[in-house]
Amino acid sequence: MNHKTASLLSALLVCFTSAVSFAGETIKIGALYPMSGRGGLYGQDSEAAIKIALQEVNAKGLPGGRKLDVIVTDDQSKPALAVTLAKRYITEDKVKFLYGVVSSSAALAVTEVSKEYKTIFVGTDHAATDLTANAFQKYYFRVSNNTFQSMAAGAMYLQDMKLGKKIAYIGPDYAYGRDQIAELKYCLGKLGANFEMVGEFWPKLYEADYTSYITAIVRAKPDVLVCGFWGGDTVAFIKQAKAYGLFDKMKYFHPDGGGNYEVFSTLGAECPEGLIMSARHHNNWPETKENADFVQKFKKATGRYPSYAAEGAYVGILVIADAIRKVGNADDTEALVKALEGMKMKFPEDPAGFQSYIDPKTHQIVQAQAIGVTVKNDKFPPAKYMLGNFKVYPADKLMPPQDYIDLLKRTKK
Amino acid sequence: MSFDVLISQFLGGLSVAMLLFLVASGLTLIFGVAKVFNFAHGSFYMLGAYFSFQAINLFNNFWIGALAGAIGAGLIGMVLEICFIRRISGREEEGAFQILLTYAFILIIDDGVKFIWGPAYKTISKPESLAGALTVGPVTIPTYNLFIILLGLVIVVTAWYVLSRTRMGKIIQAASTDTQMVGMLGVNVSLVMSLLFGVATAMGGLAGAMAAPLRTIAPGTGVEIIIDSLIVVVIGGLGNFWGALFAAILIGEVNAFGILWLPQWASLLSFAVMIVVLIFKSKGLFTREQGRKKI
Repeated sequence: MNHKTASLLSALLVCFTSAVSFAGETIKIGALYPMSGRGGLYGQDSEAAIKIALQEVNAKGLPGGRKLDVIVTDDQSKPALAVTLAKRYITEDKVKFLYGVVSSSAALAVTEVSKEYKTIFVGTDHAATDLTANAFQKYYFRVSNNTFQSMAAGAMYLQDMKLGKKIAYIGPDYAYGRDQIAELKYCLGKLGANFEMVGEFWPKLYEADYTSYITAIVRAKPDVLVCGFWGGDTVAFIKQAKAYGLFDKMKYFHPDGGGNYEVFSTLGAECPEGLIMSARHHNNWPETKENADFVQKFKKATGRYPSYAAEGAYVGILVIADAIRKVGNADDTEALVKALEGMKMKFPEDPAGFQSYIDPKTHQIVQAQAIGVTVKNDKFPPAKYMLGNFKVYPADKLMPPQDYIDLLKRTKK
Repeated sequence: MSFDVLISQFLGGLSVAMLLFLVASGLTLIFGVAKVFNFAHGSFYMLGAYFSFQAINLFNNFWIGALAGAIGAGLIGMVLEICFIRRISGREEEGAFQILLTYAFILIIDDGVKFIWGPAYKTISKPESLAGALTVGPVTIPTYNLFIILLGLVIVVTAWYVLSRTRMGKIIQAASTDTQMVGMLGVNVSLVMSLLFGVATAMGGLAGAMAAPLRTIAPGTGVEIIIDSLIVVVIGGLGNFWGALFAAILIGEVNAFGILWLPQWASLLSFAVMIVVLIFKSKGLFTREQGRKKI
């Protein structure tokens, strides 16, 4: 091969592999979810919801006749693995967006990759406030609420309902558990609430047996037990605490992850009545057409009702598609960032008359939060109890104020 | 600190300890006699829970579920011993192979249960007869937790009887000291090993079936339980049955009272106990530093 042919060939090669978009070419999104182990259900539900969203988006069409495609890989909720996969998505699969992630520690690692490679990362489930506060970077957006929003609503609920001033807390001993109570205390303080912490308990994540914690909590005699578990830990704790009669002795308050549908579907008839909980999405609230449609579509596709992870994974795709439509292509990242900032859209979890929007300053979705109480409801089997008697807190009152973000910046470096 | 608080904390700790002992005793038995470190022992606990869940769905009876959990896990344990573990026994690199092989079991069993039962959590209900709670004065203990404590004691007594009063027990004791010699005396050692593996994994399965009404079962539960069991086995002395009992109670109670008095440090306490034990008795509390090992 002479020199001329070689350069011609390499010129051709550059043409074919460059970022020039051809009509009909797919726009790739690289999603990371745990598909096995304890968070596996969230990954599976997210993948199912993504498929529903893709069908809708691609049926409606995107500029240039292009289609969205999502690759889902198991990140096992491990930060190091998530980083490797995210980099491979960008350099080898040429994805335009990073997507998903359930574990906050994995998300905090992936947001660094997003920043380094200037690739937009749309977070759909992880809840650490840091990502849209002290660890903010402009290519990161989150379409589900963070723990601060849950705790801000939780603090108002505690005040409004006058549940008592003696508070005990139990939560998993890692950032997610620690952040929740710090945020609740901050929000109660801001509201000028008169409260006293009578105990804080820190079992490890996935602790199998809470017996000794339960007897210690009962002894502390709080008015309210605030709980910060997620998933199977919630189920195990409730079952074990019920046998000790804990729920007759104090109010149980679980404002971030307690009201996830998986908790009700697992507990079935064993779910106690009167537990106060919330979640990032409810299958039976708000009673809007958008929510009912989403829940039914998911049920039809999978044969089961969705856990809260599904809604975030569903709306993230709609948000990305909308941004691409506004910009006219998926290649101008800076324009996409601008399009996403302040974007307003009706989500399944938005009550009538309200639309979620992305806060242009922090890139956090701004959403209302509904806190409910467990009541008998067998419309979503195998659950026998669901949340009811919802109290709704307006979206704009739940965002972390600047002084809290500054506090995080100072203390979490 | 009133007396009733101490009692309820103690009883709570004891019920945790008994489930821990059920898992750890199987692990230590296999190590003590067959010299196999079964990293996948927690997976048999998980399998026991899933089998019991399945049997209860089919027959709607808790006790059939418990039996199915123990027998199912035991049978799979025996099959794995006969088909795989036996094949690497006696090799030069046996130790490393054991870790690799049993670690592979963890992955395969985890994916297997996900394939059959899906990724969602499962839980089962307590039997009606044990669903209540016993209240004596200010102390309340759920009947089921009390039952777990009693079951643990029954197993301890049975194990003591079998190990020290029966021919099979004496063969097992002898095999733990010198397998070759026992073989020369005409005992079918490989049969003994398979049976032992079956019994030990069945104990893990029984623990899983008994824990399922209290806890949640999900793929990956096996790995979570193995860490605590390992701590117990190391403190008691690798391969020492009675050491495992003592260490399980020690860890259960240290945790129970740690949670009461030092809640901020509770999750570190089991590790702290292990470190202290290893500094002063590097082979565990119940292992004699030299000479014969007693199981």
